[in-house]
Amino acid sequence: MARSVTINPPKMCQPMGAILAYMGVHGCVPLVHGSQGCSTYPRYNIARHFRESAEVAVSSLAEDAAIYGGAKNLTEAIKNVKSRLNPALIGICTTCMSETIGDDVKLIAKNALVPGDAMKIIPASTPSYVGTHLTGYDNALRTLLETLAAKGEPNNKINIITGVINPGDIREIKNMLRIMNVKSIFLTDISETLDTPIMPGGHKPLLPDGGTLPSEIVDSANSLGTITLCRTAGSAAVYLKNKFNVPAVLDPAPIGVVNTDRFVQNISKLSGAPIPDEIIRERGRLIDSMVDVHHYMFGRKVAIFGDPDIVSAIVRFAAEAGMNPTVAMTATRHKDFAPDIKAVNSEYSVDTQILEGTDLYEFHKVVKTHGAELIVGNSKGKDIADDENVPLVRVGFPVYDRVGVYRYPIIGYNGSIYLLDQMTNAILGHKYDPNKLHQ
Amino acid sequence: MTTILPECDIPIPQRRPHIVCHEPGNMVLPLCNIQTVPGDMTERGCTFAGCRGVVGGPVKDAIQLVHGPIGCAYYTWGTRRNLSDMKLHRKYCFSTDLTEESVIYGGAKKLLNSIIEAHELFPEGKAVFVYSTCVVGLIGDDTEAICKQASEKIGIPVVPFHCEGFRGVSQSLGHHIANRTLFEKVVGTEEPETTTPYDMCIIGEFNIDGDAWIVKPLFERMGVRVLSVFTGNASFSDIPPMHRAKLNIVQCQRSSTYIAKMINDKYGIPYINVSLFGMKQTAEALRDVGKFFHLEENAEKVIAEELARYQPEIDHYRKRLDGKKCFIYQGAPRAWHWIEPMRELGIETILTATTFGHKDDYEKIMSKVKPGHICIDNPNALEIEEYLVKLKPDFFIGGLKEKYLTYKLGIPFINGHSYEEGPYAGFEGFVNFARDIDVAVNSPVWKFVQTPYLNTGTMEVS
Repeated sequence: MARSVTINPPKMCQPMGAILAYMGVHGCVPLVHGSQGCSTYPRYNIARHFRESAEVAVSSLAEDAAIYGGAKNLTEAIKNVKSRLNPALIGICTTCMSETIGDDVKLIAKNALVPGDAMKIIPASTPSYVGTHLTGYDNALRTLLETLAAKGEPNNKINIITGVINPGDIREIKNMLRIMNVKSIFLTDISETLDTPIMPGGHKPLLPDGGTLPSEIVDSANSLGTITLCRTAGSAAVYLKNKFNVPAVLDPAPIGVVNTDRFVQNISKLSGAPIPDEIIRERGRLIDSMVDVHHYMFGRKVAIFGDPDIVSAIVRFAAEAGMNPTVAMTATRHKDFAPDIKAVNSEYSVDTQILEGTDLYEFHKVVKTHGAELIVGNSKGKDIADDENVPLVRVGFPVYDRVGVYRYPIIGYNGSIYLLDQMTNAILGHKYDPNKLHQ
Repeated sequence: MTTILPECDIPIPQRRPHIVCHEPGNMVLPLCNIQTVPGDMTERGCTFAGCRGVVGGPVKDAIQLVHGPIGCAYYTWGTRRNLSDMKLHRKYCFSTDLTEESVIYGGAKKLLNSIIEAHELFPEGKAVFVYSTCVVGLIGDDTEAICKQASEKIGIPVVPFHCEGFRGVSQSLGHHIANRTLFEKVVGTEEPETTTPYDMCIIGEFNIDGDAWIVKPLFERMGVRVLSVFTGNASFSDIPPMHRAKLNIVQCQRSSTYIAKMINDKYGIPYINVSLFGMKQTAEALRDVGKFFHLEENAEKVIAEELARYQPEIDHYRKRLDGKKCFIYQGAPRAWHWIEPMRELGIETILTATTFGHKDDYEKIMSKVKPGHICIDNPNALEIEEYLVKLKPDFFIGGLKEKYLTYKLGIPFINGHSYEEGPYAGFEGFVNFARDIDVAVNSPVWKFVQTPYLNTGTMEVS
């Protein structure tokens, strides 16, 4: 893309991802060190995707901070969050403003604590002019581990790095681990914190129930290994490997047959747990679902956009199901993205166009030239799908124009079944001859 | 003493003057329009939000170009429900997507190229609005000079808005910046093709969920020519001739009184404040405009037609809502716009709050409420939760960020920013508003918040 102007970018800034990482930690309050929009906009985005409230503090930087620095505001913000919410952790995200004026957040955070303080502060650096929401998630997660993880006794657990995925995905992975009888630490876990119930009488805790316990983050240094569901959040796995010799497996997201097979085998290898029949039966149901629909889906052109791990894994799954992935687009660059898709192209003799670090305006142009009968991506794909008169299957973040997408998995064997059913039903529901659907 | 310090604020007593309980004869206004207490979990946004999101964003045929890193552009892409009959301003998100390199070496060249490219790709754009974000103000790009240069090159207006997010205390300054920029750079640059004695602008009407499509025809049916709506469903070309109106009416009196005053000061055009919400207030606005243009009879005719059509529906909802109590938390004006309309439905507002109200907003609130009413300036999440739990309103009118908190507490909710199923303005819109409140309050879903086995641990067997 030789343009200066970015048009319709399916990517957000670092604080957005960092807030999501922090929201998966029990008792952690995210604190944005910046202007008020830098907390309000991500909160809005979280609320509309998860249909949950997202409480985020902000240091409310203003003109005086541009001149004198933001230390006073950040110190006061830490004090106020601590005194009112008594959190276990405060997760700081920096912004364009605080980074440009050059605040030393680590030092300010250190000075804001008194000796013997039980509360810890996580000083992640997440300026919005670097990377995307995914690097923000990665930076916050790594900083969480750098601040907390500590060597102790082996815990016989597997660390699972989630990345920006949905509560439904996390619950599905937990389910697989339960079946395999493998203990785990999720880094981090929004499955409860961003999918909360309405409790009897409308009683609600001050901070959401669930999330990874800070003690689990401490203990992650003692695990059998770390597996990433999204490699974009993988720097924490590399940190644990380098610092504490915790083996790291950075493989593609477990979507589709081969990627989920790999995930299951990785769990088995790291934990020593055998792969039980129940997992094999789940796999069998996925294969069964693929066989059931292959006449509908063979050769179907699908264009996919979103975050790199999710997109490249769906490209592979689409190819496994006999579809023809024509375009794979991500706005966040990642070293594994193009090799993943090139491997699919060569294994399945398809010609998926690879768009990396670009925008949806470019994606739309390539969809027009290479064709699509189906688009898979987040809600920002709606206009393109409408213009091309094809269905949009909503996955990823954010999805705000359909309900419940965050509740259902697209990961693991069961999630893959759900995703394939969604794709198939979208095709069947869109100009498919009903006479051919009476069996 | 009429100020209150809620329990959650005991550690931050500086919040006390922002929260008042109304006592007639001892009127105290909440302390307002000052810096937020850092870390208090404020709901406020930034100056960029007020400028790009509220006032500039609705202009439908302007290329809305955000100069800064990607987030600020992304988060304002099609979010506010400022509808129009053209797709450009909501379907497309334009950003210079500044990265570290630009922060070090400046973003001037990238901005210039971005303006030129956006114009080439979208010739339907009649102007380019360039919004500066925090980092642009800090690195000091001369956006004035770049926009001037770009405008000369592409031959259409390129308007720079200096709305860096860190300026001011809230979104409010962004409204002011947008008003002043459009007034100084656009208003008066072109004359209208024709003028009539009945030319009027509707100022501070952003066509949220189609509000302008309801209210504009009301005035047109009276015989008034609506010269411009500022800025709901507005074309860029609607803004230059605003100085030739005979009268301006101002609906959003927080975000847009500025331009009405500036037009009044420079061109001597009077303006009147209106509330185009609820049956009585809308009728009053029509009468005020009718009086000004000596179109009183026409106004009465329109009012009679509208009431004949919609009052029975309002009466129907009143029967279902009479005696309910509500909270209203809005940016500012809708907190007071809606107090009287709620009474038309038999609903009393027991708490109001505004994100960025000024003194005049709180004066308007206090002039309308009953003793014991609680009013909060710049409320934070904890205060909202505490008052929802303590006072248990029958429903809460707030924004999306507060919606799901309210639901978890088992309390019905209406999105007053974007609406549930609007429009809500005018006579017809008020029927929608009443219907949505009815849906919220009388839905069967709420009865299940209580469980049959809460205290016993077992479900009762019947």
